[in-house]
Amino acid sequence: MIRAFLILLFLALGSPPLFCLQSSGSASQRVTDSLGRRVVFPSRADKILSLQPEITRIVIALGAGERLVGVDYFIIKHDHLFPIIFPGGRKLPAVSNTPEDMNFEMVMKLDPDIIFVSPTELQMVDSLQSKVRRPVVALASMGSFSRLLDEIKLLGRVLGREERAAELVGDFLSRVEAVRKSVSSVLPGKKPRVYMSFWGSLTRTPVTYEPVDIAGGINCAAGILPAYLGTIATVVQLEQIVIWQPDVFLVQGNYPPRERPVTVEGVLLDKRFGSLPAVRNRKVFYTFGYWYWWDPAEVLIETLYLARLFHPEAAGPVSLETEGNEIFKKYYGIEGGFSSLCRVLECGRWDEK
Amino acid sequence: MSIEVRGLFFGYEDFRLSVEDLCFEGRKVTSIVGRNGAGKSTFLKCLAGVLPVPKPSLFLDGRNLASLRVRERAKLISYVPQELVLAFNYSVLDFVLMGRAAFLSPFSVPSREDLGTAAEALHFVGLEGFEKRDFSRLSSGERRLVLIARTLAQSAEILLLDEPTTFLDPKHEVEVMNLCRKLALDKGKTVIVTLHNLEMAIKYSDAMVFMKEGRVVASGRPDEVLNTDLLEQVYDIPMSIVTYDGKKIILT
Amino acid sequence: MKNKKAKVLAVVLFLLPFILTLASLSIGRFHIPPKDLGRTIIQAISPSAGPEVSAATRDILFRIRLPRLLLALMAGAALSVSGASLQALFKNPLVNEYILGISFGAAFGAALSLVFLGKNFPAQAAAFIFALGAVLAVLLISGRFESHTVSLLLTGVIVSAFFQALLSLVEFFASPYALQSLFFWLMGSLSLATWKDLSISLPVMAVGVAALILMRWRLNVLSLSEEEAKSMGVNVRREKLLVILLTSMITAAATAVAGVIGWIGLIVPHLVRMMVGADNRKVVPLSAALGASVLIIADDITRVAATFEIPIGILTSLIGIPFFIILLRRSGKVWL
Repeated sequence: MIRAFLILLFLALGSPPLFCLQSSGSASQRVTDSLGRRVVFPSRADKILSLQPEITRIVIALGAGERLVGVDYFIIKHDHLFPIIFPGGRKLPAVSNTPEDMNFEMVMKLDPDIIFVSPTELQMVDSLQSKVRRPVVALASMGSFSRLLDEIKLLGRVLGREERAAELVGDFLSRVEAVRKSVSSVLPGKKPRVYMSFWGSLTRTPVTYEPVDIAGGINCAAGILPAYLGTIATVVQLEQIVIWQPDVFLVQGNYPPRERPVTVEGVLLDKRFGSLPAVRNRKVFYTFGYWYWWDPAEVLIETLYLARLFHPEAAGPVSLETEGNEIFKKYYGIEGGFSSLCRVLECGRWDEK
Repeated sequence: MSIEVRGLFFGYEDFRLSVEDLCFEGRKVTSIVGRNGAGKSTFLKCLAGVLPVPKPSLFLDGRNLASLRVRERAKLISYVPQELVLAFNYSVLDFVLMGRAAFLSPFSVPSREDLGTAAEALHFVGLEGFEKRDFSRLSSGERRLVLIARTLAQSAEILLLDEPTTFLDPKHEVEVMNLCRKLALDKGKTVIVTLHNLEMAIKYSDAMVFMKEGRVVASGRPDEVLNTDLLEQVYDIPMSIVTYDGKKIILT
Repeated sequence: MKNKKAKVLAVVLFLLPFILTLASLSIGRFHIPPKDLGRTIIQAISPSAGPEVSAATRDILFRIRLPRLLLALMAGAALSVSGASLQALFKNPLVNEYILGISFGAAFGAALSLVFLGKNFPAQAAAFIFALGAVLAVLLISGRFESHTVSLLLTGVIVSAFFQALLSLVEFFASPYALQSLFFWLMGSLSLATWKDLSISLPVMAVGVAALILMRWRLNVLSLSEEEAKSMGVNVRREKLLVILLTSMITAAATAVAGVIGWIGLIVPHLVRMMVGADNRKVVPLSAALGASVLIIADDITRVAATFEIPIGILTSLIGIPFFIILLRRSGKVWL
């Protein structure tokens, strides 16, 4: 009896390594990224280099902003949202100046545990991985809420913020569900057909844009083959827009007003669109649109906004601005975040007729 | 129509052309001879107005040539260069027709009259029937004739031909020189040619100009001016002149 | 007999653009059968004749397709005439209409506008100004030398390279969103032609093309050596300048609205010369007609081939080059 017990004790004491291995979980994780690459990366990352603005925003939302060692040029130079949600972020080094160049030496110096890139910048990925010998993951939501939420969960795991991630995911899903419910009573025949003019061009439109779908609209361009592989954009002919006769015309408003190549006024005054129901009924509005993929708080607010736009009768009592600030507070812990954004984009006036 | 040259100077790099006092008589064929680099072509180009001359030194029947605009000058003097730049393949008639440029504004197209003049010029040089042929497919001799036709179509009084017989076979050489005489006699033109072939020059010219190192060494009628000392001076090698069968032959 | 054949060919080539324009009004993702086409046109003239055509049909026809076709017609003519004229001027059949720096000058101007200047300075105006600026630079720089054709070509190459470098610099500082519109412009597109754009560029092109057609015989003379042309009574310097300014004006006007559409100015005059010979009295006007037809056909293809817009510049290259090679080999002759 004692001998058995001693043997067991010996075994128990003698095999800590086994336990260690197991208790540290798998020291690494594997993921299949948006480009179909299987990447192995450490299950805990302290230093993150994010060259994908959407990921950067999620990292900040998960409260791990201090773990960012570097970001990309877009978020520093062209993003008006970043300084609102992460005021100290401007000081972060931008590792690339353009999509094509990359300061490899800076990357090495920053010594990240994991690097995130956008799947549309294909050249970067493999060259980066082979040069710096760090795991490089190409990830983007590609216009799908479920993928956005998967990203949040993945990053939650990587950063050790699973709880926070679950909180955000839960919040996101419940709000989306609320919108879905509020427009569920609308008959399919009454769903407005929506055309989106994104990326500063009348003819460039996304083939998939979930906020529109959730808000009870139908994307005119759904189902068209994207113009470039790995993206969700297509360029249609001007005629096609007239043929579609959309009920609502949305213009990407994520550009600051003086930089907008396409404007609501421009569309309303464009004689070529005179026959569109959207123009005749003056249902031409700005919406946020993609801005280097999504920001989870912004896209949530956009979904709410669009729901109110398409089906004003289904809107709740709370004003959009209040709800928007609430969401920004939840995600980024800042006060008046949505109001700050509206000051830049003038989005408070978007649903004025 | 005669050309007077008074104090013509032209210089570039190391070369200096200086012609003090020279007269080319109307209705005559004058040939300019001399060694390579003596300045024959340069002289001709100055006469043609292709090279800019610093001070007025060319007078046509007393009129200062420099005072004329390009178009007016072209109606009086025409020039055929030694080398041709040929980028496109025009027909013979189209080529000759270009000679009418001085009579047309930049926005005009040749009239029936212009076409007639061009056709006539072709006939004069003996190439009637060649109108639709490709210029690039002609032999050197025929091309020369077409060029002469073009200068004829230009209806200028003075024709300057830069080495019109170079690279031609004897038959065509004779044809071209005969044409020059015909132009002077029948059409009353003043024809000035630069030549390498001394014998041709002697035979067909009314007057000759001998040049050396940018200066005129002698000028006048061939039988008056020609002698072995002059030839040695101009060509730097001893030469002798022999008469055979009524023709003068130069032996080196 | 050859004369008669040539005459018939000329007539066909002249009528072709107009026939194509009419036919192309029917063509598109939204097929408008000729019957509706006729009805819409008639109703535009006298509104009460016959049953109403839908507003969509009317808008597509008159506000989208018609301006686009007119632009194709005029730009095709402009680029071809420009190419033909410059080929004569530079005595070189390999010259194209962009040789004096126009394409990169225009591209830089458009980039500047799209990236930095925004709406204050529309891209078309900036493109036009910088295109002409590039040509002016070429003239000024090469004017220090004796306006030899070689020095003009060389300077054109240098100025092009300079503007290309400037363009890259602008691209470097641009956000990816600004770059996308630029990219499309660089490859040529007739898709966004509005009547407003055309109201300025069409007359400019028309005047320039008409002037160059008037100068068609003069181009024969200008294609000779400077010595010859001068001795034949042509003020070479002045007339050369005139041709350069006219061709630059029409090329810049076409490029400012339609972007860079390559190969038309090189290939169309060649095709015409293969058919009727080198006399510019025939080459210049027929190049205008054939160029117009070619661009209309190319545009028809871009409109029908797929749901999205294929930039027309890509099409003209992809089709133009092999087509040209085939023709060269068939005819056995080169331009001479």
